[in-house]
Amino acid sequence: MDQVVVVAAIASGIRFAMPILFAALGETVSEKAGVLNVGIEGIMLIGAFLAVLISVQTGSPWVGLLAAIAGGIALGLLHGWMVVVLKVDQIVSGIALVVLGAGLSGFGYRLALDGGAVRVPGFRQLDLGLLSHLPVVGPVLFSQHFLAYVGIALAFALGFMLRRTGLGLTIRAVGETPEAAAAAGIEIDRVRLCCAAFGGSLAGIGGAFLSTAQLAGFVENMVSGRGFIALACVVFSRWRPVGALFAALAFGIADAAQVRMQALYPDIPYQAFIILPFVIALLAMTMPGGAARGPAQLGRPFRRG
Amino acid sequence: MDGRALNDSTQASAGHTSTARRLSPEARAAILTLVGGALALAGLILLAGESPARVLTLMLREGFLTLNGLGAAATRAIPLCLIALGLAASFRAGIYNIGADGQLAVGTAVAVACAGSVAGLPFGTGIALLLIAAMLGGAAWGAVAGLLKVRFGANEIVTTIMLNYIAANVIGWLVRGPIQEPMRMFPRTARLPEILRLPILFEGTRISAGLIVALLAVVILWFLLTRTRYGFSLAVMGLNSSAARFSGLSRGRLTGGVLALSGAMAGLAGIVEVLGLHGRLQEGFAPGFGITAITVALLARLNPLLIPVAALGLGGLYVGSAAVARDTAVPFPLVSIIEAAVIFGFLLISVLRRKA
Repeated sequence: MDQVVVVAAIASGIRFAMPILFAALGETVSEKAGVLNVGIEGIMLIGAFLAVLISVQTGSPWVGLLAAIAGGIALGLLHGWMVVVLKVDQIVSGIALVVLGAGLSGFGYRLALDGGAVRVPGFRQLDLGLLSHLPVVGPVLFSQHFLAYVGIALAFALGFMLRRTGLGLTIRAVGETPEAAAAAGIEIDRVRLCCAAFGGSLAGIGGAFLSTAQLAGFVENMVSGRGFIALACVVFSRWRPVGALFAALAFGIADAAQVRMQALYPDIPYQAFIILPFVIALLAMTMPGGAARGPAQLGRPFRRG
Repeated sequence: MDGRALNDSTQASAGHTSTARRLSPEARAAILTLVGGALALAGLILLAGESPARVLTLMLREGFLTLNGLGAAATRAIPLCLIALGLAASFRAGIYNIGADGQLAVGTAVAVACAGSVAGLPFGTGIALLLIAAMLGGAAWGAVAGLLKVRFGANEIVTTIMLNYIAANVIGWLVRGPIQEPMRMFPRTARLPEILRLPILFEGTRISAGLIVALLAVVILWFLLTRTRYGFSLAVMGLNSSAARFSGLSRGRLTGGVLALSGAMAGLAGIVEVLGLHGRLQEGFAPGFGITAITVALLARLNPLLIPVAALGLGGLYVGSAAVARDTAVPFPLVSIIEAAVIFGFLLISVLRRKA
């Protein structure tokens, strides 16, 4: 591959990384507070669908994005309601969320959008004038979608928030030692509900990015495993937002590269390239970070007692 | 994770009506959620411009109350039952295998690849060997997730899903390449010889002898899970992992073993579907069965004896939803929404059964 191809792969790799990044960042915050949500795949599907539906209806991708966030919060709160308030098994509730997201998005798609391709009003790419036209760094660093910069900034901001602020301390305490946090006057369940809703909102943004910025349109089950790759990113980054950024970038670039390699090596079955990100995810789980310990109370309900 | 919420199902719930007068706040919230969920489902159907009552009666009639519908439901229940039996074993142990689809695909592909070499054997022998081959293939694919979990601590939810996508693509390549039909028209293998097909049990339906395989499996898994030391060990691991350590059970061996076991059941389900229904391996021949089987296993409260009933229920739901999608404006993915509602309902009812 020559330089042009590599630069293009990295530039689109950053774009491909964003849905995974947003979902992984939200999940990191949620898991830090002790709420495991294996259903972000389903939330991303809802986000992807709502973003397309509402931006087509209103003509504005931003309103579509807001709808995706609202849908993400709703499903995040549903999960929070089940596992934080009613204290049911978090994994089973997450599995139900995957099925619910697939069902609702497919239902809505066939009801509202089926029967022909729709034109999705796209976001405009950021044009920073001269900067965007620089060789190599121009396309990679200065021609991304606006939301991509938001995602990258968010990774650093959340990393700072979790490690250095009172809010971060509260969230970590709720996930590690809820008894002590409760004794200090923190409302455990309220913090957990908020973090579950926040996780849902970011998964919704991830889905919206996928259907309106990375691709242009909704297809049933289009998230195709990205929600689960985001889960792997959270573990692999050891629950650190900036780590999640690099993990998501690795997957995004691998994904962008495999798409190009399909065209470059037509003699090799294309399926060998499609599975690349999934194989990488599996291999990543075998790295030392794969077995890192998460928040102590991850997945466990809190009961005052 | 915590298997308690799942395993408490086996406890008797006698007397929960007598406590109805003093419901805990959690139980009250659970009931409200159940009602809210039912209203939301009705709302979705109204949104599609149909009457919920009409859709419900149509679904029940077409899925369960006509001979054709019931036959189709039972046909679909066979693989769901087989997969769910294996998932019940792993969920009892607190191992969340959501990779049955991949295990089914790999097991079936292994068996179908062997079909040519066993076609010359007397009737029954070849079929038996293929069933074993599919179980071994599915077990191997499940064991990969087991190895990753035991050796590297990798979360099985993520690994089994990744293995699903890998398996789906490998099968997609196989049926377009090495094992594609000679005509090379569709992504599928050639039709298997008649001697390898499972016979149809009831004239006029598509219910094959796979039904017998499934019912035998129910008895075997019921015995294994509720009447043996092994089944007890799995339940102990699911209830409390630290107790399992002290009772001298190898957590690693149980984890790997139960993932292989549930993989084997998924592989068996796949080959029964091929030998009993389709007669060949084709792409997407068992769409989403692995996830639906999770619903079956949970609906049966992980009890092997209830799994065939739950499988018939989900089979009928599928057939009924297809009829609804055909005859009304309600789109087919309603079936997934109802499946999710069933899982949430299972969780909410477990809240009601909780001791105050």
